[in-house]
Amino acid sequence: MSKDFEQQLREALRPVDPEEGFELRVMARIARERSRARTKVTRWVSVALAASVVFAAFLGAHQWQLRREQEGLEARKQLIEALRLTGEKLDIAYQAVNREAPEPADDGSGA
Amino acid sequence: MKASDTWSADELLTRARGGESSAFATLVRRYQRTVYSIALRMLSDRHRAEDLAQEVFLQLYRAIDSIDSETHLAFWLRKVAVNRAIDRMRQESRHDSEPLTDAVAVADESTEEDPLLHRRMAELVAQLPPAARAVVVLRYQEDLDPVDIASTLDMSINTVKSHLKRSLTLLRARVQGTTIVEDIR
Repeated sequence: MSKDFEQQLREALRPVDPEEGFELRVMARIARERSRARTKVTRWVSVALAASVVFAAFLGAHQWQLRREQEGLEARKQLIEALRLTGEKLDIAYQAVNREAPEPADDGSGA
Repeated sequence: MKASDTWSADELLTRARGGESSAFATLVRRYQRTVYSIALRMLSDRHRAEDLAQEVFLQLYRAIDSIDSETHLAFWLRKVAVNRAIDRMRQESRHDSEPLTDAVAVADESTEEDPLLHRRMAELVAQLPPAARAVVVLRYQEDLDPVDIASTLDMSINTVKSHLKRSLTLLRARVQGTTIVEDIR
């Protein structure tokens, strides 16, 4: 070996170029990755959107149910109040009727 | 020649960070030799080296905002290329029995005065364990000094020097052993 060993090693390990078009293949791979990432994002947005619609529908139905129950309770309260008022009126009327009714006539039997 | 070929690496970096894909492509063209050569010497297989080099540039594309200068870029590319190659070698657990076909093929392309010796040296480098191989490749292919090799590989300078010394002794002994055998024949 005439040359210095380390110099021979440098020559044995000199850099080499990749096959022609390497840069184009890298750019194509980047484009593929980006489009895959975009598809993934779109898929997640669609799933999130669908989940939001389902959640909104569920929330709407739940609110509607609550409102119906609230209205039912309100109607029940009004009915009870109406019955109470009616009862009071009937009491008053009954008392008035009793008050104005003539004393039963004395039949003079002297008993 | 494209206009972007005349731009400095710092200008290319600024433009690539701004989303200019032609600037990024020019960066790839400028550094493909370094990254691919490291991958090839480490993996000894052209297809796997091409795949690994592409992955390194893909990672660079994602991390371009964190690269602040040409020096940083060269350091980053070497570091990522070597570390990815070592990871892949460990995953595949192939480093003990490399086929060496492509390492030989690369050496065959040599136009230097002693292609057989270069071929043998490339084969022997490909047989070194991953960390020692990385040190030798960065020293003799990339021409880095031990301080830069140490920071690229996250090793102490003493470890780098020790790898270099032991690898050179081993390579020298094996090359001489081969020469003796060839002389006998």
